[in-house]
Amino acid sequence: MGNLELIVEKHSERIHHGLEVLPSLRHGLPAGLGNKRWTAELILATYEMALTGDLPKNGLEYKIGDSGGGFDVLGWKNNGFPKVDQDSIDLSIPLNKRGEDRKIEIPLPIYGGGMSFGSISLNFMLARARAAKRIRTYTCTGEGGYPDAIVPYRDHVITQVATGMFGVREETIQYAPIVEFKYAQGAKPGLGGHLLADKVTSEVAKMRESSMFTSLYSPFPFHSVYSVEDHKKHVDWIKTVNPRALVSVKVSTPTDVDMVAIGSYYAGANIIHIDGGYGGTGAAPEIAKKNIAMPIEYAIPKVHDYLVSEGVRDDIVLIASGGIRTADDIAKSIALGADGCVVATAEAVAVGCTHCGNCERGRGCQVGITTTDPELSQFIEPEWGETRIVNLYTAWTKRLRSILAGFGLKSVRDLRGRRDLLVRYK
Amino acid sequence: METETFKPSKYERFRIETKPAPHVYKIPNRFDVSAKKVRLAAMLVHEAFEFKLNKEVVLSRPCIYGVFGGHFGGFKPLKHKCVGCMRCVQEYPHIMTVKQSEEYNRLGDSFWTPEAVFTIWNEASTGKIPVKGMGYKGAFGGEGFDGIWTDMSEIVRPTRDGVYGREYISTSVDIGRKSTRVDFSKLDQAPSAVTVPVPIIFDELPTGDMSAWRAIGMASEKLGTFFVTRDQTRGEGRGSMVPIVDENSFHETIEKNPAVVEYDAERSDLFEKLASRLSSSIVIARMPVREDTGDVACELAREGVHGLHLYADYHGQDYSKDPRHVSASLKEVHQQLVKEGLRDQVTIIASGGITLAEHVPKAIMCGADLVGIDTTVLVALQAEFLGETRDRAGLKLRPRRIDPAWGAQRLVNLFGAWHDQLIEILSAMGMRDVRRLRGDIGRSMMDAELREQSFKGIAWAT
Repeated sequence: MGNLELIVEKHSERIHHGLEVLPSLRHGLPAGLGNKRWTAELILATYEMALTGDLPKNGLEYKIGDSGGGFDVLGWKNNGFPKVDQDSIDLSIPLNKRGEDRKIEIPLPIYGGGMSFGSISLNFMLARARAAKRIRTYTCTGEGGYPDAIVPYRDHVITQVATGMFGVREETIQYAPIVEFKYAQGAKPGLGGHLLADKVTSEVAKMRESSMFTSLYSPFPFHSVYSVEDHKKHVDWIKTVNPRALVSVKVSTPTDVDMVAIGSYYAGANIIHIDGGYGGTGAAPEIAKKNIAMPIEYAIPKVHDYLVSEGVRDDIVLIASGGIRTADDIAKSIALGADGCVVATAEAVAVGCTHCGNCERGRGCQVGITTTDPELSQFIEPEWGETRIVNLYTAWTKRLRSILAGFGLKSVRDLRGRRDLLVRYK
Repeated sequence: METETFKPSKYERFRIETKPAPHVYKIPNRFDVSAKKVRLAAMLVHEAFEFKLNKEVVLSRPCIYGVFGGHFGGFKPLKHKCVGCMRCVQEYPHIMTVKQSEEYNRLGDSFWTPEAVFTIWNEASTGKIPVKGMGYKGAFGGEGFDGIWTDMSEIVRPTRDGVYGREYISTSVDIGRKSTRVDFSKLDQAPSAVTVPVPIIFDELPTGDMSAWRAIGMASEKLGTFFVTRDQTRGEGRGSMVPIVDENSFHETIEKNPAVVEYDAERSDLFEKLASRLSSSIVIARMPVREDTGDVACELAREGVHGLHLYADYHGQDYSKDPRHVSASLKEVHQQLVKEGLRDQVTIIASGGITLAEHVPKAIMCGADLVGIDTTVLVALQAEFLGETRDRAGLKLRPRRIDPAWGAQRLVNLFGAWHDQLIEILSAMGMRDVRRLRGDIGRSMMDAELREQSFKGIAWAT
């Protein structure tokens, strides 16, 4: 074994060990870890769940952060002891509610969000794909193409078609059980993606058919779509190339997000995916993340209520993302009106992300998540990452079941829109 | 045969020339990294055995930013290089500690957070906009500007094309009164509006530091904007000066014939006098925002003032008996002027508490045409916080000795970064002109309103 391999092995082993030790609080709560949204406790609780597949037992806060609003000021009505057997609770949701098209169900109301090859390492991408396969849910390519290594998992991979069309080819559309149009993303609403030059290695450039070490911008918006009619043509295009695919439309959360949702429905989308501004994994201007578009907590009820009033709520799937950190956030999203959630950052935290936000600096992520650096990327072995992500979702499943059991609900579908089960804290 | 000589076009697209202007005074390390030295030594011995004295592997450090790259490695970490990634803590939780430094935590005051101070420093030194990965990390909403989100559009251009300049987004605004009708007898007397390329001016600061004022003057001239001052001996770039006139400085001002003048509307009634003696100047009434500012603003607009400079304290609170954030007061004044049919006749400049780039579009959405920045200027010039900087009369920010040229570049950089961020906000909304944003509350989303709409029916916890 050469020195480089030894160095990678040494640091991998130590990082993995640290992720096991830190949640025990044997060395205290790391002072510099976390922020208001992802508190140190929430990060450590996620490490713990990714390790054990169970909820933390040492008092670590695993339900909310400290942002002072949104999900963090919502709680559950106290309904006493479980009223139904937790094991009998059904967490599955359908991803197509229309009369036509393929019927797909996922066993838990979660699938993985788009993180592109180039913005994240191939190993992390593989870990996510393997986890999605094991759980029988989905992960998403993001806007960076479809690496060959992902093809074996294609039944569990959503192909994203975004404004840059990076890596979009006929076969990658044909692989996909679900094709996701990304009109906008929460972290960069109205601005499009941006992959910094340092991350555009030869592999990334090849995949995106671009030049090496040149910044890549997604030319927001789709220059072929300026109306619902144009959008319908997009949907028709996908359904012509792959008639089996469901179509998801990912949009951000402007003030008229409800109108956007109904437009997508009439254009033929199976899933309307609304992405709030407080999530996102890619590097983005701070001003955009903090200030543009509304948080997902406010967008969900707005869209849900409007779809109900239009009489189409039971014909379209509403998926929420952008700041979903915990099982409680998922359950609250559903109670506010979503069918399910898309999660990305929590998967990154499961494999060691500290939410430090240095993804765009120099060599990229120090623990191998958002990087294309050949050495750093190796810190995440796909199998290890898969196990951690599956464990996190297993722990979340337990929490979801316990919430539902408390209200005597036998299916997560019965929680949808049940705002009466929530309480607000000042 | 005579050849026609090529005449270059005079067209120049507005652009702010930023260039690095590094900090001249040492800034605090953001993070404090430390190692338990005995444990570190023990770990090194242990790893020496584990890796059979393979120096390269043993000394391979758990930091990609070079914090342990000094001669003494972890025994004397290079703290200024730490970005708080926490990898060293992840790898060696029993040895390493990383926390925000005390010096960093002491920055600013109750309004200026350490993060805001760092943001301004970085913008002033690089001219670049702050970019980070992995989502938003702050509080959900908050008071004032923090409780406002701006709208976006899924499909309306110019969006990204605006950010990269392929499609032009105008950030110019006019200062001055717009005539509602043409009076042929007074055509030569009507002051024409002046245009500033960015909706930001430098507001008056109660500091006599001449190097700071020279920097402000130079930057104003370079940026094509204005600086407001009581002392007319201040600064360079006198063409950019907006003097605040009182009875004592009246004659001095008349001689200078500035393009724009301000007067304290609460202390004097100089408008008629100024308007008649400075017929080509734009006369702005300057006043603190109070409960009755809407009424006063309407009265002044009817009297014919060309603009209103409404100011809050340095923390963005107005001067009402029960102080509110200036965003709320601005909305009221704007709406009252609209209701009275007077809004288009006056320019509103808002200042006080405009400390971050996002405050500019938010103040404009609330009804201002442009903003004035104050304490932010001193922060950009690395002034020292000596206490609460809320009171306009007793500024607790001490300017440091600076080279005015360096200071001017810092301020140009700050404007460059803020201009680019304004473009981000406008492009996300599909707007090509910042003037369209004025008072456009419909393109804003208020935390308090959304909360009540979206959480309607959710009971309060008891």
